[in-house]
Amino acid sequence: MLAVIVSGLAIGALYASVALAYNVMFSTSKVLSVSTGQLCMLGGVFGAWFITGLGWPIWLALLGVIVLGAVFGLLTEVIAVRRVLALSDEHLWLLSTLALATMVQQAVGLWWGTEPRPFPRLFPQDFSAGVLDQKYWLPIALVLILVAALELFYRRTLWGKLFIATSEDAFAARARGIATDRVRALSYALAGIIGGLAGFAAGQLTFAYFALGLTLTLNGFIALAVGGLGSNLGALFGGIALGLLGAFATYFFGGEYQQTIAVGLLLLVLIVRPEGLLGAKRVRPV
Amino acid sequence: MHASLRLPALVGGIAVLAALPFWTSDLYQLHLAALIGAYWVLVSGLNLVVGYAGQLSIGHVGLLAVGAYAFAILAGSLGWNPELAMLACGALGGFAGALLGLPSLRLPGFYFAMATMAFALIVAEMTLAHGDLTGGGTGLSVPFFSAPFDTPWGQYWLVLIVGILVSWLTWNVASRMWGRALIAVRDSEVAAASLGIGIFRLKLTVFIFSGVTAGVAGALFASLQSYITPDTFVFEMGLFFFVCIIIGGRGSIIGPFVGVVILTALPELVAPLAKLGHFFYGLTLLLVVLLVPDGIGRLLERIISFGRHNAQESFAIEPDLPRLSRALDGKAGVP
Repeated sequence: MLAVIVSGLAIGALYASVALAYNVMFSTSKVLSVSTGQLCMLGGVFGAWFITGLGWPIWLALLGVIVLGAVFGLLTEVIAVRRVLALSDEHLWLLSTLALATMVQQAVGLWWGTEPRPFPRLFPQDFSAGVLDQKYWLPIALVLILVAALELFYRRTLWGKLFIATSEDAFAARARGIATDRVRALSYALAGIIGGLAGFAAGQLTFAYFALGLTLTLNGFIALAVGGLGSNLGALFGGIALGLLGAFATYFFGGEYQQTIAVGLLLLVLIVRPEGLLGAKRVRPV
Repeated sequence: MHASLRLPALVGGIAVLAALPFWTSDLYQLHLAALIGAYWVLVSGLNLVVGYAGQLSIGHVGLLAVGAYAFAILAGSLGWNPELAMLACGALGGFAGALLGLPSLRLPGFYFAMATMAFALIVAEMTLAHGDLTGGGTGLSVPFFSAPFDTPWGQYWLVLIVGILVSWLTWNVASRMWGRALIAVRDSEVAAASLGIGIFRLKLTVFIFSGVTAGVAGALFASLQSYITPDTFVFEMGLFFFVCIIIGGRGSIIGPFVGVVILTALPELVAPLAKLGHFFYGLTLLLVVLLVPDGIGRLLERIISFGRHNAQESFAIEPDLPRLSRALDGKAGVP
């Protein structure tokens, strides 16, 4: 039973990390990018390739994943968001990020192969540790660090305050002389780093697998919607709830109904509280 | 196109399509043409949802899979009459569409897209979970339709008949019944609601219709493939349908049709594109969104209208001087 809880927490932590990446991007651009899950996929696949394929030491691979995540986040903003936001049609960003996500996934599939490959061990530890194994505590530790670091960043640094100002009211921020375009681009790079790190930390749990991005996009979003759009604590709660629910469902009913149960949870929460558990109330569209 | 040319063009087009098997002796090309037709049956219904009502359903492949598996089970395992089974697949597709649409159509754009995507993944999960019905990972073989539709030619004509019927229905909905209401919902839900359009009912009706077409398309598709596995219905296939509509242009019917033909035929004709597989669809979607957000159809329309000289009729307006002078003399109101 403890093993079920721990694995649920670990998977939940991964979902929560994806939800955090969603949040960082959403706060500055009001765009929910379909390519969010692909950030984690890239972190996992390239992390495995850096270490096993190229034989890099762990710290260099970690650095490589961070740089790669930032670059891909920036690319997302430049290719799929910047030009589209200038157009008035609100749905176009969904299409452009969806297109980008598909391209990345298929390109990795062509290059890396479509089979899941094992992810190397990051710390010397034998496999008898059970629930204390690194594949469980790495993602959990990472998401806690991420939430704390984001909180510090938003509250204590000037850049964080610029992010908050832009997310509160982009027009007012522009009027105050904040380069909102640059803030948005940086927020995408930050989200890329978060996603890449999450994929790297959870690599041993998920394996380096090209189609991971799609399910993570979906489940990270469900975690976000359950916790409440725009709230980092909500993202943490939503992710953990979803992970635990999935783990218990697998334990009691077998693993075939993961997605069904996740969507069931989402619908249940949306019916009871459309804004999510910790989200702010949405304003009417008129 | 000029109104007087529309009917002859339509009849001519149908005649050309019906005569297609006589031109090509290559059975593979004929199979490809039938496949395009089956895709079109789905896309024409989906076009009402995406192109007209503006609901971004990216998981319609789930409904296609429902239809395909239902056909394989009903006509294959249970031995129903295939045509009857196809109708049942349409009904089942509509039911699945209602099941998906009822909760998710109330959600805003991105939430809805995610819900449909989840639906596609759920269907894939279910086909794997209920192996005794669906053959699990190994899949099911699918029977042919009954005579005279059991040859490659017959298959093609059956697809053609269904395709024409569905296109006609779609065209009716879009141009005679609720086309404008749907476009109003697409462009501004708030404005549409203020004009008294029952938004949710309208969306749901159209969505259920698209479910019916998806179910029928699934039956045709399964029979054409003659063997289906869960791997046939990957999420990217749903993306392919979606790209067909976006590339064709939203709010038109001929555009998505051209889109289906081009996107199905291109990878077959150009070998390097086939290697890229779904990457090519992603790239196409990105290019269309960034370069021609209105779609290729609109672009062509614009080029054509740019090249054509539109005669401007002008009406000269002259003052009615006698009447004016009478009015100034104080005899206003005298006719």
